[in-house]
Amino acid sequence: MLPRFDLLRPTTVAEAVGCLSEESVPYCGGTELLLAMRAGLYRPSALVDIKRVPELRGIRLRDGVLSIGAATSHRVVALDALVRGQLPMLATVEQGVGNARVRAQGSVGGNLCFAEPKSDLATALVAYEASVSLTSAGGTREVLVSELIQGAYFADKEPDELLVSIEIPLPGDHDAVYLKYQTMERPTVGVAVMNDRSGRRCRVVVGAVGEVPVVWEGTDPSEVVPDEIAELVDPVVDLTGSARYKRHVTAVYVRRALRALEGSHPS
Amino acid sequence: MSDVPRPLKIAGQSVRRRDLVEKVTGAAEYCVDVTMPGMLHAKVVRSDRAHARILEINTGEALAHRGVVAVVTAADLKPLFPRFGHIIADHWILASGKVRYYGEPVALVVAESLADATDAAELVRVDYDDLPAVLDAEEALAAGAALVHEESYPATADDSFKILAGGVHETDASVEDRPTNLAHEVTLEWGDVDQAFADAAVVVESQAGYPMLYAYAMEPYNAVASYGDGELRVVSTAQHPYMVREDLARVFGLPLAKVRVIAPYLGGGYGSKSYTKVEPLAALGSWVTRRPVKLVLDIEESIYTTRVDSAQVQVRSAFAADGTILARAFDIVMDSGAYADNSPLVLAKCVNRCFGPYRVPNLRVRGRSVYTNTAPASSYRGFGAPQGNLAGETNLDRAAEQLGIDPADIRRRNLVAKGESLLPGKRGMDAELVADLDMVVASLERDRRDEPGYGIGFGCAASDAGAFPVSTAQVRIQTDGSVTVLSGSTEMGQGSRSLLAQVAAEELGVDLDQVAVVQSDTAITPYERTTGASRTTTLVGLALQRACADARAKIRQMAAEVAGVSPESVADAPGGVELPDGSTAGFGDVVQRWFGGSAGEVTGIGLLRREGPTQEMPPFWEIGMVGVGVDVDLETGHVVVDQLVTVADVGFAVNPKAVEGQDLGAATQGLGAALYEELVYDGPQLVNANVVDYRVPRMGDLPRKIDLMLAERRDGVGPYGAKGAGEGTLNPIGGAVAAAVARAVGRWPTRLPLTPERVWRLANGIEEDD
Ligand SMILES: Cc1cc2nc3c(=O)[nH]c(=O)nc-3n(C[C@H](O)[C@H](O)[C@H](O)COP(=O)(O)OP(=O)(O)OC[C@H]3O[C@@H](n4cnc5c(N)ncnc54)[C@H](O)[C@@H]3O)c2cc1C
Repeated sequence: MLPRFDLLRPTTVAEAVGCLSEESVPYCGGTELLLAMRAGLYRPSALVDIKRVPELRGIRLRDGVLSIGAATSHRVVALDALVRGQLPMLATVEQGVGNARVRAQGSVGGNLCFAEPKSDLATALVAYEASVSLTSAGGTREVLVSELIQGAYFADKEPDELLVSIEIPLPGDHDAVYLKYQTMERPTVGVAVMNDRSGRRCRVVVGAVGEVPVVWEGTDPSEVVPDEIAELVDPVVDLTGSARYKRHVTAVYVRRALRALEGSHPS
Repeated sequence: MSDVPRPLKIAGQSVRRRDLVEKVTGAAEYCVDVTMPGMLHAKVVRSDRAHARILEINTGEALAHRGVVAVVTAADLKPLFPRFGHIIADHWILASGKVRYYGEPVALVVAESLADATDAAELVRVDYDDLPAVLDAEEALAAGAALVHEESYPATADDSFKILAGGVHETDASVEDRPTNLAHEVTLEWGDVDQAFADAAVVVESQAGYPMLYAYAMEPYNAVASYGDGELRVVSTAQHPYMVREDLARVFGLPLAKVRVIAPYLGGGYGSKSYTKVEPLAALGSWVTRRPVKLVLDIEESIYTTRVDSAQVQVRSAFAADGTILARAFDIVMDSGAYADNSPLVLAKCVNRCFGPYRVPNLRVRGRSVYTNTAPASSYRGFGAPQGNLAGETNLDRAAEQLGIDPADIRRRNLVAKGESLLPGKRGMDAELVADLDMVVASLERDRRDEPGYGIGFGCAASDAGAFPVSTAQVRIQTDGSVTVLSGSTEMGQGSRSLLAQVAAEELGVDLDQVAVVQSDTAITPYERTTGASRTTTLVGLALQRACADARAKIRQMAAEVAGVSPESVADAPGGVELPDGSTAGFGDVVQRWFGGSAGEVTGIGLLRREGPTQEMPPFWEIGMVGVGVDVDLETGHVVVDQLVTVADVGFAVNPKAVEGQDLGAATQGLGAALYEELVYDGPQLVNANVVDYRVPRMGDLPRKIDLMLAERRDGVGPYGAKGAGEGTLNPIGGAVAAAVARAVGRWPTRLPLTPERVWRLANGIEEDD
């Protein structure tokens, strides 16, 4: 059962940031936080409910950067016209997160801050070279998602910092695909391929299989060797598979993702 | 009953479930919703090691915690009978002297609120001295293994176990002088097995491992109990409230009549809620505090309370060149965990079900149920059949391959015919198995795809079901002609509430909406042995038919008295009687006129025991006939079930939709064990004692094609020729999936579940530890 705690309900970012400390932590959808508390793994004395802070919600396009408020749910992102139009791969990823309840309740900020290694969102965002904006009483800083995710359940974020938004620079002429192999509640491996034709850059990001997403960078998809990418990952051994198996399916899914990328190409 | 079958009006209709709306809207009352005045809450303190001597339990700090009323330990059990268990009363209510598995209850904290009890439970300090632990059956059987139980316990007086065990011979561990970890051993043998093997054209050897499972019911175990004035009242999640009553009466030394056990709607059972679970703990809390105590386990605690026996089975079969079975030999080892619970019976059933519904002229089966320092195992849907059937059917499929015979043909050749004996001294086969199999194969073949990675498999099973035929039922005819049905059989989602209403309405000729059904309250509803072994339709149905006939006889008598005619001249009419002058009177009229005024009630009583149609054991054979088609992703080993085909050989479907629901449910649960589910121990502790990591089938896993067929040949002893359903379809699913996958990847698996990695390794010939 849930232990006792105080509930704080700020309505502005400034107010929310003022409430935060080691013992007083952000609470958004609660899909991770409340489970951890119920299991007795975590016992903050106060929860700072950030769902009533309007600045933390919504999706905006500004100067070629798509900004998603931290408290926005997966479902809203998946259905958003801007996202679907500009970053269809992200919409697909968000549509495939967990289940309908998790998508309706869970937030993008909560997903990143919890840093559960089996995240689809983090893998996709790393492929887009997205960053997050973290605010504390001392000011605001921008951190790349690839740097925010430091390890399993470990995000580079101070207790008094609030993740305010995710910032995704819109790529130019590009194709992107995300394929995941999932047989349990969360993905065994997720592969994002982002081919930025105007910039002559190609990124392959493999997530969920190890503690943090692994990135391969080149100029063209034809350079990708799936078995080499499989050697880059450091699989977490668990009930979904041994290291050997996970490396194997990583290669399979990189190959499939590349094939899907070809298929998605208009010409 | 007349010989000419009358046209049925309500039986045979897919009427809407009685509990549908209240369950969908959340209005239905489950045990967890029940409160009692002045109720306290309990939290169990559990062992955090597999096997250890308890040196001291320090309760001081917990007792000082806000709201705590009592901390109950084994010391409080002194004046009571401290153990339960309906076959071997070996199960300590609270660990005494030592703990035998991680998760075993050591103390019970009782407090004003659940929060207080939960917090205080963390303050109970237990000092242990670790003992060497045996964590699997092989370790436990090794020479010099640490003993889970140093003492042996006398079996309880319930001799129905022997009859149910069905011809197997027991070598009870308790009769041996030196204790071992063998909880129970049974053998079954006939013919000259060695000679038959010597004469065989082909001998096929194989092995099969059935995983350790959790019979995931959505509602975890919970109970609320109140002890006072020499009476005990318990509301709990019990499939068999009458069996629980016996255990509780023994523990507290109370007359049966002073122990009242009530089971509201159950949120699923699947065998896991049969027999006693948390009731003694809640009752003990109330006995100590003299206030009602509620105890609700979470899923992890429930998994550690009762799991499913895992099994390792070795099989050898001897065949003639044409595929005729000459002999079969099985060696079964079950890991039954720290306490026997119902595992002896699960073992006995596994022993007499493992060789399948085939003519086996020479047979030798040895089964052993082994104590280990793991969570105790007990009944599970299918009752030993899933474990044994997998081994037997896989062996048969491999034989077909080796002999170059079609796997359907090898079965057709060996399936017992209608009326033929499967187990000596038992009821002959009451089903047409070849016809059932033909239905399965035809449906599968229709949609089979000839592509790499596609395979089909099918399997057959027959279980001696129905359990011990003791059942009682009552109907109370009201002054307005409406009817109350009373039964001690539990509604656990299987739909018995609708079914019993249908039978009563049919028998009495009243509208369905005139019938109310009250179930599972030992103070109100009449005795029912169990709600298990797929028995309710057949056995409770028969008892209820008799109760209706009894009520009708009484009413005819009363009508004759009132009208001043002879009882023989009064005939039955729908909802009432017909008098010699051709006029009719409704039940209500007769009751009112006999008592005078608008008062009164007539009770009809139906009793069922081993006699007449239910003399022969088993009351019926429960058939399992299934087929699957699977798509294997050969690169990842991921299996998708494309086709699921089942035949419900139920004699007569009183509610066809309910039968289909049972078959789909049982098959889907079977697919869980076949493809996904397995409890995994890493050292003393489970690594997946939660429903995120213990993966059960989900909606998205349902097969593309689901063909649920009914075979209604009116060949059962139950009402209108009905036989039971609910478990049969689960039993052969494991073997069917194993065969389908084997045909898709070209190698035979030796254990379930067929997780993607295992299938990938199998397909590529890579050993598990490579
Ligand atoms: C059953 C299940 C299945 C799932 N499947 C998937 C899947 O397939 N793929 C996938 O990618 N994810 C999956 N998830 C994860 C899901 O996306 C996250 O649980 C969800 O997005 C977390 O958001 P929340 O708002 O509920 O976070 P909360 O539980 O409210 O918070 C999580 C953590 O983040 C902190 N936090 C929250 N918001 C902020 C903020 N703005 N600033 C700073 N710290 C903050 C909290 O303090 C807490 O530590 C699954 C989760 C569940 C429960």
